[in-house]
This record gives sequence, structure tokens and C-alpha cells, in this order.
Amino acid sequence: MTVDVLSSIKGAQPSETVNKLFEVIKNANTANNNAFNTNHNNAVSLDNLRDDVVIDSSAIEKQIIIENFPKEKNGYLVVSKVIEE
Amino acid sequence: MSSQIHKIHQQLVDKDITCMQLVQNRLEALKQNTHNTVNALLDETALDLAAKVDAKIANGETIGLLEGIPFGIKDVYMVQGTYTTASSNLLKYYKSAYTATAIQKLLDAGAIPLVKENCDSFGHGSSSENTIFGAVKNAINPELVGGGSSGGSAVNVAKDYTVFSIGGDTGGSIRQPAGYNNVYGLKPTYGRVSRYGIMAYASSTDCVGPIAKSIEDIRIVLNVISGQDVKDQTTYTSEDISKESTLNAEGIKTVGYFKNFIENDAIDPQIKSDFLASIEKIKSKGIAVKALDFFESNTLVSTYYTLAMAETASNLSRLDGTNYGNRIEAENLKETYAVTRSENFSEESKRRIVGGNQVLSQGFSDEIYLKGLNLRDQIIENFEDDFNKVDIILSPVTPSTPPKIGDSLKDPLAMYLSDAYTVGFSLGQLPTLTIPQGTATGLQITAAKTNDELVLKFANFLKDTI
Repeated sequence: MTVDVLSSIKGAQPSETVNKLFEVIKNANTANNNAFNTNHNNAVSLDNLRDDVVIDSSAIEKQIIIENFPKEKNGYLVVSKVIEE
Repeated sequence: MSSQIHKIHQQLVDKDITCMQLVQNRLEALKQNTHNTVNALLDETALDLAAKVDAKIANGETIGLLEGIPFGIKDVYMVQGTYTTASSNLLKYYKSAYTATAIQKLLDAGAIPLVKENCDSFGHGSSSENTIFGAVKNAINPELVGGGSSGGSAVNVAKDYTVFSIGGDTGGSIRQPAGYNNVYGLKPTYGRVSRYGIMAYASSTDCVGPIAKSIEDIRIVLNVISGQDVKDQTTYTSEDISKESTLNAEGIKTVGYFKNFIENDAIDPQIKSDFLASIEKIKSKGIAVKALDFFESNTLVSTYYTLAMAETASNLSRLDGTNYGNRIEAENLKETYAVTRSENFSEESKRRIVGGNQVLSQGFSDEIYLKGLNLRDQIIENFEDDFNKVDIILSPVTPSTPPKIGDSLKDPLAMYLSDAYTVGFSLGQLPTLTIPQGTATGLQITAAKTNDELVLKFANFLKDTI
């Protein structure tokens, strides 16, 4: 897939400036090819997970969320659908 | 400068000023300012809160240290019911449905929010020119940029429009504008302050932090906003930092600096000689100074931007005009997404989103993105080794003085490279403070992870030393 499709930005092209940064990475020496952030992640401990409960939003929060919605149809808020292709 | 928070608190308690006068004066100054620091004034809320503080004082009730203290908020933080634009067209009329944890803690402590502050759109920039509200003008010389991305916040503090401001720092966005406007700006250790309610740019380096005119004010605000938060599971529990503990730097025996930051052609000769003069003054106080090896600036900048672009491409993919934002209708859903994003994102944001999708796409991720992660691991290991040898790392904030307004937009590569001294500490998730001393754009003090206290200690030491 091309970057304009991936980015949902019409006519987008890779930038020469940004490509220069990527060239530096391509040419850099890395310690090994398998390291994947193994020692330095910020994952939360299993003992510290938040409670698996549904918390209802406040009335004002719901009202603002509805206010922010760009599109309404027949009294319903229009949400996105799954694109299958 | 001494603590503005303590000074104003005392004036309120002694009834030398009313909170209403204080807030009105600051709002008026913000309204009239020509530095383009304001995206929205929160005048109604601020005046209501000020009246409550005055009533409390009139009733003889005790007020907390932050009660009635006016502050500013970079316009990437959610504050319920306020416009939160990220200085972008896409979110020009977006209203926050909830309040960010750090901001809520300040509101709970009684601080009064005055203003949503101008910044680079979604934090994408180092000059606060990438904004729909007009380029932020430097507090010292308005022909120069205010720095970025938290430019409006740093200028507001420098001009005394706010007592402190809450900025956001992903690759230097608090520290660099603090340096450009001669104020203090802290990027705390990643995870010390909750990111809940800040618009995500690059989640693995996004940090919430204060900008202020004194070390003491930085300490006060940091203590209030720190702490574990179930809504941001990368946060950790931290102890309050006491004032007394920051006044004694006896434990600091060795300071390091990166040789290659200083010995290269890109650094302004004056910044170089001023930095080296500061090092000599530190040595004269009996502190050992070590020159350390570090990664080339090019590698640091490229690693940071590769990872930050990948993360921002992912974070901003939600902005498609469906649930919120300035939706532009087209012939079908996919076209609606594409037109909404194409018309509403700035050139700089598009450049970063496209770059991010490039490195995450099949065929490129191994060669660039995973290699970038590997380099980040090496950078972190390098820091861990360094902090076995030294207590503090001292660096300039920027290689050069602030550019003229207009120059950064013409040359994005130069803008990226100007972040060379700040991005490494972001990748390392280390606590780093800009102080307005030592060079024209200040100095950065960095300590090992979670050791934010040591940074403040050394800042107090340098205040009397250089």
C-alpha cells in the first residue's frame, strides 16, 4: 500500500528531508538484529492492573461528546463502519 | 529569581492584593499581548474561582499554597468544557469532555487556569510556528521564535502573564522554549506525571512538566502533579521532594558532559565557550568533571524522529472527522477521511504522519523502525553506564540561539537537527531541567531515571556557582 493510502492523506509522498533521517538509521551500526526493546519497557505489572469494571461517564462528559460529533442523521450520531475490500 | 508562588501566596494571605485583582491583571496582560501566546482565555472560570478564593480569605479560612495562583496550560491538555485545539484546524472547535489528571490535580490544589496556550500543532515543531494561531514571538526578542513546541507557555511565564505553565515535552518541547525565553522548564522522568488527558504525540516519550521562573516553583508544581494514576499505566509512585533536600548538593561529586556535543562544527562558538566556562566554574568548586562519549547528533535526531513519527502516525490515525473534528464530506467514507485529513493537517504534521507510516509499512519496518528501537536500547544502555560514572550530566540546551520567525518552516531538516541536545534524554526517559544560566539558551541538567530530586539540587547549586 502506498503512503498516501496508509496515511489517508491525498497525494502524500515520502519527504526527502525525512528520508535523509531514515538513511542515517539504515547506515547505523546496531548491536544485534534481534533486540526489541527487551530490557526497557514500561509495561505494567500484573499485580497493578486497573480494575476491570465499566465506569459510567458523567452527564456533562456525555453531553460534550455528543456536541463534538460532526454528523447526525435522523436523530442518531453517524459513526464509522468497517471497510471491507 | 525567588519563588513567585510563595510571594503571591503571602500577598493574598496578607490581603496586599485580592485574588480578583491578580487574576484580572494577568488576564488583561494576556489579552493585550502581541506575542501570539493565547489560543483561548478561560476568563469566566478564572474570575469565578478568584471570587471563591477571596471569599475564603475574607472568612478567615486558611488557603493552600497554590490556591489562587494563576497558571497557563499548553493547548494539548483536556480541560473539561474548554476548546482544546492542539493549535490545529482539525480540532479548532473541539471541546474537551474531561480533564487531564495533571491539570485536575492543580485545580484540586486551587490553582487558577487562565489560558490555553499556543504551541506547535500536535507538538509537531521546535518553533511554535506550526500553528493556526500565528507564530509565537520570543519573549526577549519578538523577531525570533518563541521555541517549541510549548512556545506559548514559555513566553507567558517569561513575560509574567502566568506564574507557571504546564507544557508537554516529547523531544525537548519544554526544555528548548524554556531555554529560548530564559526561564526554567522541567521534563520529569517519564512516568512520574500521568499523561492521561494530554493529546498523544509519541506516547513512549511524551512527558508533562512545569515551566516557571524559579527552581522552587518547579518543585512545588512537580510535587502536585506527580503520582501513579490508573488512567496511565506507565506512571509510578514517587515521593514528594522537600525544599530542604533541594538545597544541599553535597552528594554530587562528579559531573559529566558529552564531548561530541561540544566538539563539533554545528555548535555556535559563543555557546561552546560559555558552556566550557561553566564547566570550569563547576570544577573550581571541587566537583570532578568527566568528558563522556555519546552517540553522534545525527544518530540521536534520526532515532528520535523515526520512533516519534511512527508513534504519531499511529496516535493521529484516530483523527478522521468521525467522532469529532472538522469533518469535510466527500463522495464516500474513505474519501471523507482522506479529504478531512488532507485539508486539516498542517504540512509539518502530514510530513510526520507520512514518515511514520513509511517506517511502519511492510518492507521498511525491519530496516528502519526496528533498527531505531535497537538504537534506542543502545542509547539507554549508554546512559545507564554513564550514571555509574557520574551523578549529573550537563549539556547546552541547543546548539544555536533562536532562529528568526520564518526560517524554521523553510528548512525542516535544520529544525530537526536543532533538537540534537534534547532528544537523547527523551529517548532515555530521564529527568532533565533547563536552567536560564550558563549559555544564551541555558543549560540542561540530567540525572538518572527517577532521580528528579538530584536535578533540582544541582540547579540550586549552579544558581550560586555560575
